[in-house]
Amino acid sequence: MTDYQLLVQRYDPEHDGEPRQQRFTVPGDHTTSVLDALLHVQQQLDPTLGLRWSCRMAICGSCGVMVNGIPKLGCKTFLRDYRGDIVIEPLAHFAVEKDLIVDMTQFLAHLSAVKPYLINDYSGTQPHKQTPAQLTKYQQFSNCINCGLCYSACPQFGLNPEFLGPAAIMLAQRYNLDSRDNGKAARMPQLNAKNGAWGCTFVGFCSDVCPKQLDPAAAVNQTKVESAKDFIISMFKP
Amino acid sequence: MNTPASARKPYQPELSRSWWLKHHYYRLYMLREATVLPLLFFLGCLLYGLYCLAQGAAHWQSFQLFMQQGWVIALNLLAFAASLFHAKTFFALFPRVMPLAPARLMIGGQWLATLLVAAGLLVLLGGWL
Repeated sequence: MTDYQLLVQRYDPEHDGEPRQQRFTVPGDHTTSVLDALLHVQQQLDPTLGLRWSCRMAICGSCGVMVNGIPKLGCKTFLRDYRGDIVIEPLAHFAVEKDLIVDMTQFLAHLSAVKPYLINDYSGTQPHKQTPAQLTKYQQFSNCINCGLCYSACPQFGLNPEFLGPAAIMLAQRYNLDSRDNGKAARMPQLNAKNGAWGCTFVGFCSDVCPKQLDPAAAVNQTKVESAKDFIISMFKP
Repeated sequence: MNTPASARKPYQPELSRSWWLKHHYYRLYMLREATVLPLLFFLGCLLYGLYCLAQGAAHWQSFQLFMQQGWVIALNLLAFAASLFHAKTFFALFPRVMPLAPARLMIGGQWLATLLVAAGLLVLLGGWL
């Protein structure tokens, strides 16, 4: 067992005016994740530490935190990869409710704004078939776990919280590319707007931090191509 | 029954002007965006050259003398390096935006096209034809 030094950002809305840092010494070996370390703090050292977590296997997307300034899933990040002080802060660009818990209301509003569901007039009882080739078109964009790391990596979202952001635009692209969907026309006004795909300047850090190795930056910029096509086609429509 | 007052007081962090200095990924992004600055100087030189050409031989000679100064050559070399760096980042991003073929093939194809166009221009403008 090795002792690791954790510098955890604390914020108690009832007492603190702004966040402060607190040092914890946590024992760990090569299997100890950042989430394990935080749970050790909560269970053994300070039960008032607030954090979100659930599955511990990078599926639920709840335990996102900043580790040394980079958005990470706590359960998928290991103490063994760090030397010296490990600074743990709540996800950047979101309002902090308490300690490591952020308010994701805006993120969820952006997700639902792009109508992330199949829109069609299919009403049969038969299965709605899809070929493997049709599935491949959107499959890579459908594995998002809504952890919000890409929003913490995106300076455009940090500067302008109205920007739809990487995950929401990727989700829109995921449904636009689905052969069973006819809702593209309903989604394009959101994506064409100033706070839609065009708010992105292709920093690309969102794709770098994605814990599921998706490429939201590619999805956003493919949406720009779609948006441009949509604009040109609309010029020729009466 | 009265509802208790909410104890919520979310802390909204603000993004400082120096956000891009915090991570090498952001610094690289800003460098990519800043490549336009030396290119502006090159464009200025080009426009000045065109203007001088229209004004006559004396102006054209003064333009040539201007272009031979050390600092002008240095800035133009910087603009050349910047445009190569920008091309490298652009060529790498292009296959992700328009995935028409395997990424490696598209990146190689773009460099090949750049080389061919550059070589063609050199032959055309260098007076070897």
